[in-house]
Amino acid sequence: MTSSDWLDVAGWSESFSNWSMDNVHDVLPSGDIDMQVTIPSTWAWPEPITMGPIFNMQSGFASIQPALESFMHATIMCTVVFGMMMTTMLAIPYIERKFIGRLMDRLGATTTLRSLWVGESGVTAGEWWNQLPFGMGAPIGWVVNALNSTWGNSHELETVARVNNRSYHGYWFLLPGFFQAFADFMKFATKEHIVPKNADKVVFEVAPVIILATTIMVFAFVPFGPHIYAANPELSLLFMMAIFGIAPLGVFFAGWASNNKYTLIGGMRSAAQLTAYEIPLLITVLGVAVLSGSFNIIEIVDFQMGQDEGNVWNIFLMPLGALLFLVTMIAEVERIPFDMPEAEAELVEGWWTEYGGIRWGLMFAAEYMRSYAACILFALFFLGGWEAPFQHTLSNLPAVGGIFSTVFSVIPGLIWVLLKAWLLFAVFVWIRASLHRVRTDQILEFGWRYLLPLSMLNLVIATILRLQFWTGGPWDLWVPAAVTLVSGGLFVILAIDEDEEALEIQRRPYSTQAVVKASPGSHRK
Amino acid sequence: MSYRANTGHPHATPNFRNLVIRPMWMTLKTALRTIPFVGRLTILKNDYHGKPATMVDAATKERVGSDHPSVGQSFAPDRETSQVMPFVERPVTVMYPYERLEDLEPWLFVPGNYNGRIGIIWETCTACKLCIHACPNDCLHMTTEVRVNVLELSEEGDEWHGYGSELEEGGYAAREKEEYDAIAAGFDLINAHADAPQQYDFAEVIEISGDKATVRWSDGSGIETVDSTSLKPAEQDIVSGQIDLGRCMFCGLCAEACPFESFFMTNEYDGMSGFSREELWMDASRTRVLPTVHQERVDMELAKRAEKEQKKRDRKAARAEA
Repeated sequence: MTSSDWLDVAGWSESFSNWSMDNVHDVLPSGDIDMQVTIPSTWAWPEPITMGPIFNMQSGFASIQPALESFMHATIMCTVVFGMMMTTMLAIPYIERKFIGRLMDRLGATTTLRSLWVGESGVTAGEWWNQLPFGMGAPIGWVVNALNSTWGNSHELETVARVNNRSYHGYWFLLPGFFQAFADFMKFATKEHIVPKNADKVVFEVAPVIILATTIMVFAFVPFGPHIYAANPELSLLFMMAIFGIAPLGVFFAGWASNNKYTLIGGMRSAAQLTAYEIPLLITVLGVAVLSGSFNIIEIVDFQMGQDEGNVWNIFLMPLGALLFLVTMIAEVERIPFDMPEAEAELVEGWWTEYGGIRWGLMFAAEYMRSYAACILFALFFLGGWEAPFQHTLSNLPAVGGIFSTVFSVIPGLIWVLLKAWLLFAVFVWIRASLHRVRTDQILEFGWRYLLPLSMLNLVIATILRLQFWTGGPWDLWVPAAVTLVSGGLFVILAIDEDEEALEIQRRPYSTQAVVKASPGSHRK
Repeated sequence: MSYRANTGHPHATPNFRNLVIRPMWMTLKTALRTIPFVGRLTILKNDYHGKPATMVDAATKERVGSDHPSVGQSFAPDRETSQVMPFVERPVTVMYPYERLEDLEPWLFVPGNYNGRIGIIWETCTACKLCIHACPNDCLHMTTEVRVNVLELSEEGDEWHGYGSELEEGGYAAREKEEYDAIAAGFDLINAHADAPQQYDFAEVIEISGDKATVRWSDGSGIETVDSTSLKPAEQDIVSGQIDLGRCMFCGLCAEACPFESFFMTNEYDGMSGFSREELWMDASRTRVLPTVHQERVDMELAKRAEKEQKKRDRKAARAEA
């Protein structure tokens, strides 16, 4: 049994396709169309020859109607999912900008621009509208004055603060900076397209297409809700992970084709990182599939929602898997602290150094799309997808349960998916703001020596949970409770542990390690 | 030996807690502090924020006197965001150099392999100038002078005899100028606007065989084989060692080039600024690292030199026997 909510976009699309195709069928003429041509008999053929069909448009259309209906349905759903992805992804750079901006006390361009039309201390910017002939500008003046009297600054001190751009003085619900993404896109779109002289031009042009196309293809299999998906094959998880792994190939192409040492190093690092992180990522995802008993993303969510199956989010059953998925996904989408391929401090943005204009913009967008996809996938795999937090518990409360279940039935699952994904992205940004970039060798060592065994351990845990502790019905609550408590305890123990070896190494305040002198042949020792 | 980190805090070590958990908690606090109303929660506050910091340290106070207007002034960053929304707080910066982040958050540390200010153990420096040759930016400057050590002038029977060094191949030698007494007698120290006359001719020792020494004279007069008894051992002494920090890119090639473990890139990031380019010329006293800080390395270097000396003596004894 699958979960469901009232936002049945797939159903609507299907019924609309059927309805419209039925209408087309009905509009077509119902009678037979005689398209036969008869050639009268001559001395050469004694019988008259009849050629051509007696054509019935309705029955002819009926034979292709199912194909047309499914094509229309697929087109509508692809458009809906793409539009939904692009619209909701506006929040992604916004979250990043605002989080980092708050940390750095930067306010953004919109707030600065706003002071131009709202004005300062009751004085608007030059009252240029009075210069227009015949009083044409008067309405502009009314609007600006109204804005100024309601949202302008009336106090001198705040004016000073605004001019110095040193404080947050907007209204947060106006979301200043939300439309910066559009401004950025305009800028990229109008920029010149420059191909380096010695670049491999074909590959240079193909690489962004590979990256962008595969990134958008990932969203074909990512459901935003129980009925909002472009495609839902039985093995959607496999398809999705396979396509997710293609983009690094495009990255490598881009790095190679640009014919630049920085881009090449970036591409190489990307390839090295890919091998170190793709395998733990896939094994972790395999753990999710084993636990949920399905390779279908929607069924994985259903398993967590508890329609006579499980009733617990996967994060409480395998916190280790969630942590591994988070880490490997950050590496996979090349974000700090694993952004070695585009380390801007040392590689001048790495593999996309030579790109500019709309190609750069699209690759940048693809980067954020991948992050967004990673966030949605985390929400679907571990945070119960489109289930509200504690939905079942709250709905089964004695007195207020009915109110809760009403509220939950009104809110479509899409909202929960988006909220969880955005929250996850805030965690991505939080990690980015807190941790420093790790070195290439540290990344590889971390990937091969820690993540790979841990992901295998996670797979074992998932298998044991599925085979030994899962009864086919809802989980016994002690299982997730025990797993979560043990994992949390282990994490705390690891976190408070003092590293004796590190203490020993760091005994001296200065760097006193013996420097290995760079001399010919010294690397062979 | 008890552990002392740069901050003097025992927990400033590169472990999981200090590298991951604490930075994330710190960032989260800073971000949440800017959210209306939430930012007022006590758990999000740092105890060092909002406190006025005195801007004049004790030494400066003593220098400028208590009447100086800056004494008693304190600086507190304005944490309030605006008159309109006073409940929105801003992230507060640390008032470096009046405050330092390591002092406020003692778990923070500068990594040991961070290339910071240059530190030199001048005590073990031999003025070989390999660091200067290694420097790609020409920011290291060293003036040296070949001199005869006074200990080497002592005659047999003197109290300090035998404490000087000996002639050795690759070292320096000096021969007293024959006409020096006459030159010195005619030199008017007070009125002469010139360098004082040299008492010695200096040379590099190329080879020593028996009583003869082959030397290359430093004044360019060529290679000559002379009696080694006429030569005194000389050595190169540092007159000045300076670093133009304004040119330094902290690549660390100098530290890598040093064969005597005397040159270090410290992880100190402070004290490298000035109001003029001239202030960035750091002389020997500003690059000095005390041997006690690097006692291990100094001991290692001394052991190396002692071993070398021992080998030399062994060789000499073997030669005397033969």
